[in-house]
Amino acid sequence: MAEEKPTPLELRRAGFARYKKDVKERGKSFYPFAMFEDTVMSLVVVAVIVGLAVLWKWTSYGPHHDGLHKGVIGPEYAPPADPGTVSFVPRPDWYFYFLFYLLRIFKWPESVFLGTIGVPTIALILLLALPFMDVRLERRPSRRPVAMVAAVLTIMSMAILTWKGATAKEALASEVIADVPSWVKTEKLPAAAVPGAKLFATAGCTACHTYLGTGGSNLGAPDLTNIGTRNLGISFQIRHLECPSCVNPGSPMPKFASLGTARLRQLAIFLESSKGKQ
Amino acid sequence: MQEEHGPAPTIWPLGFAVGIAVALVGLIVDPQWVASAGAIIAIVFGYLWARDATSEMRRQAPVVQAEVREMTPAEAAAIPPAAEGEAAMARPEPGERFPRSRFLEASTLGLGGLIGGVITVPVAGFALLPSFLDQKSYRVDMGPVSAFPLGKWFIATFMVDPKEGETSRRTAFVRNNGFVAQGSKQVPSFTVISNRCAHLGCPVQANGPTGAILGEKNEIEHTKNGEILLRPVLPAGFGCPCHGGQYDTEGNRTAGPPVRALDRYQFDIVNGHLVLLSTYSVSHVVGTGAQAKIYKYKLAGPGEHVDGPEQWFYPLNPPHHY
Amino acid sequence: MAIRRAPSKAQVRREQMLAAVNYPLDWLEERSGLVGGVRYFLFRKVPSDTNWMQTLGSATLTAFIVQALTGVILAMYYKPSPHDAYASIQNITDHVTMGWLVRGMHKWGASVFIILLFLHMGRVFLFGAYKYPRELNWIVGVLLLVLGLTEGFTGYLLPWDQTAYWASVVGINLNGTAPFLGPWLAQFLRGGQEISGDTLSRFYSLHMLIIPGGIIALITLHLYLVIRLGVTSPPWSKEAAGREVVEEPAPVRTGLTRPAPHGGGRD
Repeated sequence: MAEEKPTPLELRRAGFARYKKDVKERGKSFYPFAMFEDTVMSLVVVAVIVGLAVLWKWTSYGPHHDGLHKGVIGPEYAPPADPGTVSFVPRPDWYFYFLFYLLRIFKWPESVFLGTIGVPTIALILLLALPFMDVRLERRPSRRPVAMVAAVLTIMSMAILTWKGATAKEALASEVIADVPSWVKTEKLPAAAVPGAKLFATAGCTACHTYLGTGGSNLGAPDLTNIGTRNLGISFQIRHLECPSCVNPGSPMPKFASLGTARLRQLAIFLESSKGKQ
Repeated sequence: MQEEHGPAPTIWPLGFAVGIAVALVGLIVDPQWVASAGAIIAIVFGYLWARDATSEMRRQAPVVQAEVREMTPAEAAAIPPAAEGEAAMARPEPGERFPRSRFLEASTLGLGGLIGGVITVPVAGFALLPSFLDQKSYRVDMGPVSAFPLGKWFIATFMVDPKEGETSRRTAFVRNNGFVAQGSKQVPSFTVISNRCAHLGCPVQANGPTGAILGEKNEIEHTKNGEILLRPVLPAGFGCPCHGGQYDTEGNRTAGPPVRALDRYQFDIVNGHLVLLSTYSVSHVVGTGAQAKIYKYKLAGPGEHVDGPEQWFYPLNPPHHY
Repeated sequence: MAIRRAPSKAQVRREQMLAAVNYPLDWLEERSGLVGGVRYFLFRKVPSDTNWMQTLGSATLTAFIVQALTGVILAMYYKPSPHDAYASIQNITDHVTMGWLVRGMHKWGASVFIILLFLHMGRVFLFGAYKYPRELNWIVGVLLLVLGLTEGFTGYLLPWDQTAYWASVVGINLNGTAPFLGPWLAQFLRGGQEISGDTLSRFYSLHMLIIPGGIIALITLHLYLVIRLGVTSPPWSKEAAGREVVEEPAPVRTGLTRPAPHGGGRD
């Protein structure tokens, strides 16, 4: 009879005993050999921390010190907390950007808790369970293709989510209104279109539509930079703004009738004058 | 046959500890009766304990003659080495039903558990309960109804509780809908929508011109709640700057992740003033203005579904003021 | 026969110096055994082929120590009430001597700490160092990552500025969407129905006392396990400790579909 094959546990124990023996026979003393490298690395860490603190202070510093000034890596503080604000765009610290963007991805009411709790919880459980899912003894990356592919995919998705979170922009009336003069210049808008442009900037149109790169595209509404080239006509534009789904069945765009016909006419003039970059 | 060696094991400390525990719990529950009952128990048992422990000193201690006898080799072999932990404990006499070692073990664990309980109950109660008890309700005086012309929207910013200060500042979108028939009476109707997003609570903004673009001035009403800032606005809807939720002018969700319509404030008219009461949640609204049919629910946190199958995820909400 | 010369003055002085240094150490060792413990920690053997990547763990510890020290000092000037918090942050940043530096180190140290946590975790993953017998230490490490992120979240509210306030609103409401217990958890975190002064002081307590206590306890356990189980060699190293030396025959090239003769292909 062939000798009995060792069980996986016996193999692991033998491996660890071999490790202990090897370290005892061939290992080096932690101090100073390994500790030297640790110390150098720690020095780098402390230097980076102090460096960031200095950069933070001295790029936001000027003759009239202003903690709200952005500097190179952000302001020292934002304006004081205002629970009643209507003009603030909240953002988390950078290491929660991935979660922040995850919430934007799950943009259907039925899936909200997947983004808030579901995905992070699953990720945490997978992390905790990792040593029990991957029980092979093999440690060489070249022999662990599944683990390596999973790791690369995880890093890539975290990096992309963080990047998208960092660059996500919001179309706030108070910020978009500042772009109106440049729209007038770039699109050569007539003076009659300016009141409509201001309305366009403040009435929330840019929450869904983009115009010369301003605005949110998260909800998938068409770009309106050169909507005027389609020559839809002032009266069509007004009818469409009053009730989009009446003109265009199935349109998810909300009704803007509450702005009143006079203002809708201004908007329509602006849209019809938007012929793209001139 | 037992010689008198020293104080015998006693259960008085147990009673003393129970008394202290009752007194501590009583301080939270009912300082007058329970605490004093605990104190009495502690004093009585403490006295008995002290009497027991000092009995030796209060009388002539008997002279105890040391026992001298040669051990037989068999007896010597039967004594386990002292280092062997449990084995080193004295062997119970045969036929003894409740040996001393068992008693000490049980009372050590019991007293330890008691200490744990005495510490945990008040600490956990103190940490957890205040978040859920005594939620205050409030009334916000928004100024005379005449400050709100018929059909006009205002972004109203106010302090819910001026004593609490800035942390209680809130914003609501207010519109006077005129009068609506209720039975035989004509009652005023207002739409008061909270600006807290139904997705995750971000500050919702009005999609529409305000200030100079609208050509109207902000107003300030001075009321019991301090300054109420009223900014005229012509909203085509409401939008959230965090994750892109969009609402129509009745607060219905039109796009993005919000799970329901925007919350609303209950209101009352007192002496010709508009008074805001607590908030409630709304699944959706059919119709507009005074004719709107509002599907009301108890106030739920942002992100909680109030209707549809998802509401079963949130069967029990913590106590709120309603 | 060698002549024993009397020791020179320099030698005598050196011996006296040594005795002076050793006396307190011996005194401590005799009463506590601590010196021996430190010696064991410093002079324990580690594999001969450790790598620069393996310094990330101690670098993370350094970042945590920076956070602990700067945090404790910031607590001397910071006032955790909605009325004073913002002003005290302004005061620390603009007026207290070196306040900008300590606050800057604490703020940016947090980011560095989080980055190092992730890098260290990546290194452990790459080395397969979470495998037998080090599973428990991986779990302790994941818990440390969670506590580190919680520190970031609770600390973010403390300046009580707009970003702080609204990020915390969203963060708390995120927890509130968890099925069943979420609303209760959110209300506990807020200390009531709305964010108030109670929220700030409880986040302060979590950030200052409760979570750091947990982190310190887990770091102690983490280090104990590292010392007990040893450091892994880089898995690709030729002299990797514990590597089984097997005389493997050169693999026979076979077609993709034809199985290898000895049933290979299974790791």
